Amino acid sequence: MHEFSETLYDGYGQQFRVDELLYEVKTGHQHLIIFRNAAFGRVLVLDGIVQTTEKDEFIYHEMLTHVPILAHGHAKRVLIVGGGDGGMLREVTRHQQVTHITQVEIDQQVIDMCRRYLPNHSRGAFDDPRVTIVINDGLKYVRHTQDRFDVIISDSTDPIGPGQALFQEDFYAACKRCLAPGGILVTQNGVPFMLLDEIETTARRLSRVFDDWHFYSAAVPTYIGGIMTFGWGTDDKALRHTDIHILKERFAAAEIKTGYYTPEIHNASFALPRYILEAIGK
Amino acid sequence: MNIIKVSSFDQGAGYRELVLQHGSPLLVLDVQRAREQYYALQQALPGVDLYYAVKSFPHPALLSLLADMGAGFDLATSGEIDLVRDLRVTARRTIHTHPIKRDQDIRDALRFGCTTFVVDNTDELLKFLPYKHRVGLLIRLSFRSQAAIVDLSKKFGCTVDDAADTIALAARIGVHIKGLSFHVGSQCSNAQQQVKAIETCNTLIRRCCGADTAPLNILDIGGGFPVAYDNRPVDIDGYCAPIRDALAALPKHVSVIAEPGRFISGPAMTCIATVIGKAVRSGLRWYYLDEGVYSAFSGQIFDHVRYPLEIFSDDERRVRGVLAGPTCDSIDLVAEDVPLPELQLGDLVVGHMMGAYTAATATQFNSLPKTKIVVVNSAAAVVLGIPAGKLRLRNR
Repeated sequence: MHEFSETLYDGYGQQFRVDELLYEVKTGHQHLIIFRNAAFGRVLVLDGIVQTTEKDEFIYHEMLTHVPILAHGHAKRVLIVGGGDGGMLREVTRHQQVTHITQVEIDQQVIDMCRRYLPNHSRGAFDDPRVTIVINDGLKYVRHTQDRFDVIISDSTDPIGPGQALFQEDFYAACKRCLAPGGILVTQNGVPFMLLDEIETTARRLSRVFDDWHFYSAAVPTYIGGIMTFGWGTDDKALRHTDIHILKERFAAAEIKTGYYTPEIHNASFALPRYILEAIGK
Repeated sequence: MNIIKVSSFDQGAGYRELVLQHGSPLLVLDVQRAREQYYALQQALPGVDLYYAVKSFPHPALLSLLADMGAGFDLATSGEIDLVRDLRVTARRTIHTHPIKRDQDIRDALRFGCTTFVVDNTDELLKFLPYKHRVGLLIRLSFRSQAAIVDLSKKFGCTVDDAADTIALAARIGVHIKGLSFHVGSQCSNAQQQVKAIETCNTLIRRCCGADTAPLNILDIGGGFPVAYDNRPVDIDGYCAPIRDALAALPKHVSVIAEPGRFISGPAMTCIATVIGKAVRSGLRWYYLDEGVYSAFSGQIFDHVRYPLEIFSDDERRVRGVLAGPTCDSIDLVAEDVPLPELQLGDLVVGHMMGAYTAATATQFNSLPKTKIVVVNSAAAVVLGIPAGKLRLRNR
């Protein structure tokens, strides 16, 4: 293989030169490839769709981690659903105030393989003593766990793939059940310019579960086709409007060095373009 | 009626050697033959992208060969998707052509990365609403064929008027229709039906050109390219000449693809069966073979084909007889009331042109095992100890 062409859309796509194929495996019904590309470093592909690259993963992981944790202000217990590559775990472990981190991943093999072939994603985070790894179906876990969390991060694949269940109303409702009062759910929600009905559907489902719901955005180069959005659901309406000075204080106190996140970006990312506002009925 | 050729006993030596080595019954897949067929069709249809119809014979050695030659693949089920995924075929070179699909079938194909699908009615079109931003659809038209042995336009395909309605609805709901497809049936005796279908599609494509919707830029002319089951050579270049002329009249923006199955796989496999029993019933000689219509000869039932048979005997006399299959069912007859030399237990009966819709549709009735397939004339066959070119299995 000398080129990899993503097969997400019929009439449009991105292509990478495969400079070195590092790993290829079929686990159950998933076909997973890791290769090296001069422009994006190591690239992880699942079922023909780019999941993460070394070069731009920080944007995605910082925005799904620091926005809810700093908006919450005193998050101690964090749940990550999915995220087998360990990038999300790495960002969460940077918050010293967080005392318990549970990650529920459906496939142990994904974790093992990413620790080996994408070590820069987790950078040792799997060995952090605050971390508990649970190998289980994310939906089953949030339905049955007795634990309560201040922040839940849904780091899923796209809804056609194995992540399908993590886009259903059942999942959002089960997450709300195990959120502590004032807790926040954030979710990966795709690129609405290309998949507008996905955000319409998610908006409808979040609105039925949470008192306050919205989306925020970031541009991640390898999630092609415009800005990507993240779902936001909580019962505390004030959190989304946390004052910039408070965010700055919290960010400074956390002593985290970021590549994308700033408190200004945090606030601005909740401002959405008109075509998205219309799609979500706001 | 099967054509029966009686060759000298000596000419059967290669087959006897194979049976000694691998047992009987046996299917021998000659991938070099498939390569020649693919190449011949490519030459006869320059500029047409060929998507091998996996259903005709989904053997990994054949699929690998075709993948290496740059072929695309026509898939119809999630099982067929798994086959080509295992061979690391890029999904960009596949199309999903089953006109009727469950939601799970669509999702499986999308997860694999196949984004081209076929529909022939509005109910089927609506199934794509949740995936409308990811897919490009072909509309399958129906052209009833008198010339085809298997008329595939009865079960699937819509009229030109229905197609226009479906295209209009698709434009309203935002699903991308990128082209048209048709399948005139298999084993066409001439290309007139295909030519007429191409001309009709050309008219529809030109009618849609000026519309607000994206232009129809793919025409899938299906399969149906004939092979010879009667030992007469097929002039594929001559057969395709009127098709080439009809395609030349299409607007420049249209890419043409075809879905050959039988044409590639049919001539590539030979079946070797052994006489395992004899009887005389009502004055006819009955010879019982270890292979029959519930197994590799299943094409004689489902595919309406009679395979050319070859027997190796120096006996000049001919007596009318029956070649029967091994199962307990009385329908299991390979050839009835045909002139045969006197056969002995252990003699071989060889079936030619048995690559398409043979092993693919075989059952395991009577709990008989599936017939073993050996591959010859490939790099892998050399590993198995069968030197390339040593075996002359072609019935020419």
